[in-house]
Amino acid sequence: MTKRIPLIARDLKRLYTGFLIAAVVLFVVCSLLTGFNVMTLIQNGDAFWKFITEDFLPPALPKASRIPGVLSSVLVTLALAMSSTTVAAILAFFVALFGSEKVSPFPRCAKFVRGFATFLRNIPALVWAFILFSSLGIGTGVGFVALCITSFAFMVRAFVETMEDVSQDCVESLQAVGATFPQRVAQAILPSCLNGFLSWFLYCVEVNIRASTIVGMVGGGGVGLTLFSYIKSFRYDIALSIILLIAAMVIVVDQITSRLRKEILK
Amino acid sequence: MQPILKFEQVEKRYPNGVQALKGVSFEVSEGEFISVIGPSGSGKSTLLRAINRLIPITGGSVLLDGQEVSGQRGGSLRALRRKVGMIFQNYNLVYSLSVLQNVLHGRLGYMKGVKGIFGLYSEEDKREALALLGELGMEQFSYNRAADLSGGQKQRVGIARAIMQKPKLLLCDEPIASLDPSSAKTIMDLLHDMTQRRNIACIVNLHQLDVALKYSTRIIGLARGEIVFDGAPEDLDDATIEKIYGTSRENLMIGGGGTLDDKTDPAYCA
Repeated sequence: MTKRIPLIARDLKRLYTGFLIAAVVLFVVCSLLTGFNVMTLIQNGDAFWKFITEDFLPPALPKASRIPGVLSSVLVTLALAMSSTTVAAILAFFVALFGSEKVSPFPRCAKFVRGFATFLRNIPALVWAFILFSSLGIGTGVGFVALCITSFAFMVRAFVETMEDVSQDCVESLQAVGATFPQRVAQAILPSCLNGFLSWFLYCVEVNIRASTIVGMVGGGGVGLTLFSYIKSFRYDIALSIILLIAAMVIVVDQITSRLRKEILK
Repeated sequence: MQPILKFEQVEKRYPNGVQALKGVSFEVSEGEFISVIGPSGSGKSTLLRAINRLIPITGGSVLLDGQEVSGQRGGSLRALRRKVGMIFQNYNLVYSLSVLQNVLHGRLGYMKGVKGIFGLYSEEDKREALALLGELGMEQFSYNRAADLSGGQKQRVGIARAIMQKPKLLLCDEPIASLDPSSAKTIMDLLHDMTQRRNIACIVNLHQLDVALKYSTRIIGLARGEIVFDGAPEDLDDATIEKIYGTSRENLMIGGGGTLDDKTDPAYCA
């Protein structure tokens, strides 16, 4: 009998096996550390099921007098996401010009600009919101700032990369022509990167719709705060309707932005 | 006659230690059509970019129209750069803008402040740009997006942009390396005719030896950052070619020599 012919190189096979074992071990260790146990979930399944069927279902509408308020809070959330992303995008564009070695007139500072943006970005919007609420008090304005900071930092990074991908060649040619830095920005970088910028902007709007709901919950206002107040007053059935409303809102915005992005990148 | 361009013992060492140019000296006078040949990595692109300071040199001096290039900054550097047109292998156009807008970019070096930023070109400039496009047979594409053009057409826009600068010197960095044989011939003919007619000196980096021999008034051979040949095309013999490329003529694909029978166009060769 002949030996079976292997389909892939033996050391590669060993590598894959190693990875598989490592993944399993990692999962087991992590599960032990978090104390997660499937059995508890099954044991407490009854209570969980009861909560869902009795407290949450069926979804109930809030009092008729409250409905306009709820709807306007959805608008506040949408407006919060849109306005903070727009302001952040405009700021990010100007900062991103200095964040790329290939474009910036001061290439040595580019690293610091990017480092600063990375630092801001790695702190989640929720943390910014808590920090700002404790120092400035709660309110939609502060929620706006919190969202602005993270989407600004994200877009600086995204814009820098778009610029480096797209515009290096035409920046060189305009440099050879004798164009000034503002001329190069307006005549080469902006037109050639605009579609990329818009696509990132729309992606950021998508992200910020979700984030503004969360930031709203902890004090930023909008539909998040409305939801939270119903949860706190144990009106879970009304909370469920609002959750469904939020889901609908996110889905609609996602559909619109993803279609726009496809159009732009054509 | 005063030379337009003068290199004196120019050195360039990149931060990573690569010595791209070693004691390069030569002069360029009005109306010359010079081809720079040499293998990849011999310093051709660095040489070209040292002229308009897209790459700063680390030693020696480059004199452009009697002015030292390396000391210039800001406004005076821009004034020097607009005397030098440049054409690129990858055309380097702004593809989302119209052909006409790309051609008018050649005027940016002459414009100040808001006008340049928002592209408010004078009617005279626009007329001139359209006339230039007509001369290059591109008039009907004036309002097309640059992205929609073919390679040869893009390079013609590149030429128009460079000529719009009213340069004294035209630098061409492998202008035909991305083109098919027939577009390549069109582009080389246009480059030759337009620079001769306007008395613009032209320096062309080339990989195609036969093209260099056909069009140039003078050939500069570069090997490992040094000039190993500088003379008339007739004087470029096999021994010199071997010195430039580091291998004998039989190992090179040189078109138009008549020994190969699969030649369709003299421009088609590597």
